[in-house]
Amino acid sequence: MTSIEVQALTKEYGTRRAVDDLTFTVLPGRVTGFLGPNGAGKSTTMRLVLGLDRPTSGTATIGGRAYATLREPLRHVGALLDAQAAHGSRTARDHLRVLAVSNRIAVRRVDEVLEETGLASVARRRVKTYSLGMRQRLGIAAALLGDPEVVLLDEPSNGLDPEGIIWIRELLRRLAGEGRAVLVSSHLMNETASFADHLVVLGRGRLLADTPMRDFIHARVEPRVRVRTTDATAFGAALARHGHDAVEHEDGHWTVRHARVDDIGRLASQAGVPILELTAEEATLEQAYLDLTATEAEFTAQPQEA
Amino acid sequence: MAFAPVLHAEWLKIRTLRSLPGALLALFAVTTAFSALAGTDGSSDPEFDPLFTALSGVLPGQIAAISFGATAVSSEYHGGALRLTFAAVPRRGRWFAAKMTAIAVPALLVGLVTACTANLVARAGLGSAAGEVTTGEQVRGVLGCGIYLMLMALFAAGLTAVLRSGVATLSLLIPFILVVSFVIGDAAGTVADFLPDKAGQIALHQTYDGTLGPWSGLAVTALWTAAALLGGAWSVRRRDA
Repeated sequence: MTSIEVQALTKEYGTRRAVDDLTFTVLPGRVTGFLGPNGAGKSTTMRLVLGLDRPTSGTATIGGRAYATLREPLRHVGALLDAQAAHGSRTARDHLRVLAVSNRIAVRRVDEVLEETGLASVARRRVKTYSLGMRQRLGIAAALLGDPEVVLLDEPSNGLDPEGIIWIRELLRRLAGEGRAVLVSSHLMNETASFADHLVVLGRGRLLADTPMRDFIHARVEPRVRVRTTDATAFGAALARHGHDAVEHEDGHWTVRHARVDDIGRLASQAGVPILELTAEEATLEQAYLDLTATEAEFTAQPQEA
Repeated sequence: MAFAPVLHAEWLKIRTLRSLPGALLALFAVTTAFSALAGTDGSSDPEFDPLFTALSGVLPGQIAAISFGATAVSSEYHGGALRLTFAAVPRRGRWFAAKMTAIAVPALLVGLVTACTANLVARAGLGSAAGEVTTGEQVRGVLGCGIYLMLMALFAAGLTAVLRSGVATLSLLIPFILVVSFVIGDAAGTVADFLPDKAGQIALHQTYDGTLGPWSGLAVTALWTAAALLGGAWSVRRRDA
């Protein structure tokens, strides 16, 4: 079981700190979502983990070892950094063969990952004929080539079609289920919420959060209950008796803040109020994320790209 | 990590990029064609050098060798290619050595075959005018020509790693070889003999009268190449990918 350990990692470009004293661990067996706006330092952190850039200070290791000291690193760590990495004039199969040969990975694996990423039928076409989604799949195929225990993917759902997005979600869940450490960066909240178990959130190169996803959402977003009733007066009175803070909307539904469905259901039943609809309003990762970033004042002043 | 798999991967990269075998083919075709053309022109020029005439196709042909070296390296500087390369082979010094070997060996072999063919074709055309070149001189010319082409390919490869761009390298080297070296080479005396291309080309001549001989001339070109390779290795190892 191998983890990614990031210790007091700092990277400066001139006077700008792209990564600022970052410490976190990506554990095996779960998908860690790596969140933050563009320019928060996610890609830089990934490059530092892969030994591509030199840290100004601090360390990033894979199972306790610096990436550059790994023998045949593709057998331990698979990474997708840039879908444009494959040369357009090479075929997808040749692109993967080159990588396999350099790390003494059996050429059989090339055909396996092409099959797995759905590229087998176009494997002998030049990469320049590929759509962005296909290049993305090729990048993921390259990451999986060495059957690595650690997988790092930078924005893997970029350019994927809806089927591709569902596929990547299932792939990530499966990789974590097989006991691998999976780090996936994204700036798409709903997408990340669909596959992540754990979150590491960056803002301006600094660590803003490192928590399980459920905790992250529940700590930041109040639980709410949505109710529709035929007897607004009685319902309002019952809520007021129990000290609930509720809002009645124009279309007739109510939102009860800081409440759980169990409590409101029981309360309505005791008051004899007929209920048409009673649901928990699912807190979203997006709300929790925006709440977190709103508390970072300097950070909201920064315009964020989509 | 062992060197052999890295070298194998780099060789595979060269083989699987159509433009690279294409450049080597162009090296052969252009050199042989221009040498053959020179062979039809039985000259009465007093400075006529039958060995150099037979190998003169190298002057335009070397551009293909330079393109080969530059393109083999510059293909790593497209998109995030170099990052993927270094993720697979984090020992950058070893990777650079493998890359340069994968460039040098085919350039040398194709260079030797090209020089041999060009010499034979041009001598057939020259007929009696080609007569007074000894076998030893021909072997020296062909060997020197192969080594020269390899050194020029490596010179371009090293320079591309320094500049991190094939376009920059080619737009520097090609005008240099076609114009600067040509013009200054005739105007100036001994200093021009030490230019990377001029020095190595002495090996292609039957007679030479400068400070440098055929092998010392190639050694000067080799020094230029070594400087470019050292610069390239330094750039590859030092910079963030």
